[in-house]
Amino acid sequence: MTGRRAGRLLAVLVLVLIMVGPLYLMVTNAFKSQHDILTEPFGWPTSGFSLKYLHAALTSPDFNVVRAYGVTVLFVVAVNVLNLLIVGPASYAIARGTRRYHRAVMLVLLAGLFIPGQTLVIPVIYVLKALGLIGTIPGFLLFETTLTVPTTVFLFVAFVQTVPRELDEAARIDGASRYGTFWRVIFPLMRPVAATAMVLNSAGVWTDFVNPQFILGPQSGVYTVTTGVYAAISRLSTNYTVVYPNILLATAPVIVFYVFMQRRIIGGLTAGAIKG
Amino acid sequence: MPASSTATAVPTAPRTVGPRPPLGRTRARRRETAADIAMMAPPLILVAGLIIVPIGIAVYLSFTDWNGFTSPPHTIGFRNYTRLIHDPAVKHAAFLTLLITAIGTIACNVLGLGVALLLNRNTRINAILRVLVFYPYVVGAVILGFLWSSILGTNGAVDAALGAHHSLPFLSDPKWAIATVVCVIVWSSFGVNVVLYLAGLQTVPDNVLEAAKIDGASPWQTFWRVKLPMLAPTVTVNVVLVVIGLLRVYELILALTAGGPAGETQSFVYNILTSSFDNTQLGYGAAQSVVLMVFIVVVTIVITAARRRSEQAVAA
Repeated sequence: MTGRRAGRLLAVLVLVLIMVGPLYLMVTNAFKSQHDILTEPFGWPTSGFSLKYLHAALTSPDFNVVRAYGVTVLFVVAVNVLNLLIVGPASYAIARGTRRYHRAVMLVLLAGLFIPGQTLVIPVIYVLKALGLIGTIPGFLLFETTLTVPTTVFLFVAFVQTVPRELDEAARIDGASRYGTFWRVIFPLMRPVAATAMVLNSAGVWTDFVNPQFILGPQSGVYTVTTGVYAAISRLSTNYTVVYPNILLATAPVIVFYVFMQRRIIGGLTAGAIKG
Repeated sequence: MPASSTATAVPTAPRTVGPRPPLGRTRARRRETAADIAMMAPPLILVAGLIIVPIGIAVYLSFTDWNGFTSPPHTIGFRNYTRLIHDPAVKHAAFLTLLITAIGTIACNVLGLGVALLLNRNTRINAILRVLVFYPYVVGAVILGFLWSSILGTNGAVDAALGAHHSLPFLSDPKWAIATVVCVIVWSSFGVNVVLYLAGLQTVPDNVLEAAKIDGASPWQTFWRVKLPMLAPTVTVNVVLVVIGLLRVYELILALTAGGPAGETQSFVYNILTSSFDNTQLGYGAAQSVVLMVFIVVVTIVITAARRRSEQAVAA
């Protein structure tokens, strides 16, 4: 019995070490000089502690972190708003629909579920080029929103089907239009499933690299956190006084946000994956 | 009531009172259909325009030599496909991706389920550990790749700590680099599996576990005979998610090794994106995309079908 406990403890210890180790290196080395990083990478930065490198990364002409954060947050918000506006009413119509075309629309919308976004990049560039939207923010947001449609439709339709139809009837008798019924009666009930969708979509947009890199492109001058970090440190990847501070700046706010929202984020992902 | 609803409110209100005339009924129905179409059109247009049509265009471009600039592209028949069968870079990338997927799927699921069992009891420490294993998901592959490359790369933290004479070629030797890539991929994604398996373990009813205990089952037997069979649907979700995720692995490798040393760690998607954009051979890239798309759809169907049997065993 005690052997079992010891084994458990050891496993937890190893787990903590491999998960915390990289974070420790990221935080401590962001405050050290190149020399200190190379001689004592695992050391605590007491002697050579300096905010210089973090400051340099914050004010770097190559990559404006604050701006990149602003841009990425705006993209996340825009995709979520577009996603709810576009997918919400459609999911309602599909869930309440009884005709064959409702099923057909559902199947078309779910088609993207198994198609990885990266394999679509080349033909999507072709389409957006034809529309004059390649390298533009609207083009990028449209494609990014489209990629969120399949999962969200799946989650929303399944949820609306559990909402009793009597609510619709009551709203209709009170004179509500179909949009009115959806936004005022059904949508407020969808808060948990909308939260799930928003968690999945936000994480998808936040960590996305391929689309901002290839659809938006560096020539647009618009960088997200991922493409910005890539542009800032891929050329200088052995100058650790640039690498660690940049990684810290790209990670710390997200991790803080995640720690505060962890219940929602983990719960959202779980709900999404189990239903999906 | 919102202003928009008044238009429909006026004509429908009296109809609920008296018997409905057939003409009004069809008109109401038509209006209903119109509203339906208006509601479903926006996502339908997006998915059609930016997923369905592009799939068709990918197939079309795969038969051309499009370089991203010339229009219209020249049709060159099956030449892209015959070329990729014989292309050593594509073959290597395909082999590497399958290797990563096979090892990664097993490792992520074994680790995911193992750690989930370890953290299954609802204690404060377990809640903290759950947050700890999951954080890579929110950080994202590009940044994790850079972080690990500065830890394991030449002159990286581990190298520096070991000293010049004991340095290990984590990212500079081809075999080591592939192993490192697999480990970092598993490290960065098994947290999702832990969380999903934890959710699955919650669905195993307590009375079943109680019954197993009363029947004298050891923890080992309880796991193999009770928990694991009841987790069958969770296993399916986890396997499918990991397989689809790993077949398209790209960002992490880009940041961790940049495909090196000497292209040894270029995955299939890496090859599609880097070689087709750097060499402006988008037609050739499209052909590889089509192959990957078909492969992913087939693999998903096969796994789901194969898993159905063990899932039905639970129901029975």
